[in-house]
Amino acid sequence: MTAALARLPFARLTRGVAAWVTTGAWTMLAFAVAIIARARGAVHGADLVLVGTVGALVLPLLAYGLVGAAIGGRSLSTSGASLVAFGAAPASAAAVTIAIAAVGCAAAGAFVAAGVALVAHGLADPAPAGDALASAYVGALGGGAYACWFSLGATFGRRGGGRALFLVADWVLGTTAGAILTPRAHLLTLLGGPSATHLSGRSSSVALVFLAGACALMAAKRCRT
Amino acid sequence: MIDGTNGASIAIDSLVARAGRTVLTRVSLSWGSGTHAILGAREDGGPLLMATLAGRVVPRSGAVRVLGEAARSPGARRQVAHIPIEASLPDALRVDEVLALATTLRGEPTQDHAARLAMLGLEALVDRPVRSLLPGEVRAVALAEALTSARVRVVLLEEPFVTMDARAIGRLPQLLRDRAEQGAVVIVATASVGDASDLAQDHVLLRRGTLVRRGGAQDLLAGFWQDGNNARLRVVLRDEDDGRALAAALARQPAVVAIERLAGALCARGRDAEALARAAGHAAVEAGVDVAELRFDPPSLDEARARTPLLQTETRPS
Repeated sequence: MTAALARLPFARLTRGVAAWVTTGAWTMLAFAVAIIARARGAVHGADLVLVGTVGALVLPLLAYGLVGAAIGGRSLSTSGASLVAFGAAPASAAAVTIAIAAVGCAAAGAFVAAGVALVAHGLADPAPAGDALASAYVGALGGGAYACWFSLGATFGRRGGGRALFLVADWVLGTTAGAILTPRAHLLTLLGGPSATHLSGRSSSVALVFLAGACALMAAKRCRT
Repeated sequence: MIDGTNGASIAIDSLVARAGRTVLTRVSLSWGSGTHAILGAREDGGPLLMATLAGRVVPRSGAVRVLGEAARSPGARRQVAHIPIEASLPDALRVDEVLALATTLRGEPTQDHAARLAMLGLEALVDRPVRSLLPGEVRAVALAEALTSARVRVVLLEEPFVTMDARAIGRLPQLLRDRAEQGAVVIVATASVGDASDLAQDHVLLRRGTLVRRGGAQDLLAGFWQDGNNARLRVVLRDEDDGRALAAALARQPAVVAIERLAGALCARGRDAEALARAAGHAAVEAGVDVAELRFDPPSLDEARARTPLLQTETRPS
């Protein structure tokens, strides 16, 4: 049953133009900045691009676009309406859609973060292989968390317009006292950026996992009817 | 409670529901297997009632039981096919993948996809992406899935002949009847009195969200046909050029009080339907023209309401 429910969001991600355009555009931007950093000989090139471009800009917008593609540009509940019409439980259809979006965003996040760590590698950065691996982990965690965050946003509004509000909220709250509630602050902490939450890396990892789980649960619950 | 069946498969008790501006007010009725029509305009609540039966709208109060289960239960959902005007299929898949997915979700044995579609003459669509289908094709594919499913026991079809693929329209009435004879509950919601009387054995009339009356097609229309010059006979010609000659011959028939020229046809109006049919036959012989089809045009819902006392009477459930 789960595999059957996964077919639709998976097909939206793999066959739709939107997902490829989003992934291509933001990946190219990240790699372009990484190439520039390397060309300028930045000693902390990888750190600089990962925090300033990937964590702050590319990963949130990449996840925003991929979640939109996975739900077909609608609200999360209406995105599964055609499955519900064949007898699927609405919450199950939503949960599987969130899972597929999270896996897609995690994979894309890991690829972009690892690639940038290698391309923008500077003299003062850690060893390339280890840095790429660590960056891939953080990229995957951040991508997955953002997917769940935007999925919850997509449960608000007739056409899922709440997703855009959650994007703005992440930007606004991510640097304030409310940062602990957003993926942005935790992701930047993990990438080595300034911490708005004053949490350790390990705590930020746990917080991201917890945030992703909470958002996914709330989103699926909101789609029960 | 208006109950026309014993051992009902669908039972609605004091249902109150709302979607946008459309409301249903304390609707109580039941249906068993067979073909049934909900007659009324969209704003009268037919589509809302169907959405409630399909578990897509949560009732504000009252009970809706489908096949012995709550309408929103997974067990009921799997056995209900709801085809609204704006039907949707899983958009990123091909038609054959949609049918395979539906088979899995409904928990039924796999069938040949092309054969399922062939029932409505849609086999050419089997490998088309859903995104490339016209709205009428989407509805027809959804209907083919419903009519060929081994699991579906309730078919809810909104406006059967509107936004429907032309290949499916001709086969639709018989297939709905066949499905009903196999034990399914087939419910159509329509604003067309003609479609309702053609497709369904009995009718419920909704008006502004209230159940007005239940009855057979003839009950609903009897008053209309008896009142004034309401009989309208459409004479479809084999040769469009014969229209002038036939119109002249019809004008000489006493039973005909008015004639209207249409594309490839004439519409004769009179007081008595039988006399009108005889007059058309005489006129065709007199003019020496070939007639392809004679058909009585049903009244529109507004006409029927305006002229039929039965349709103006509202019997609110107590």
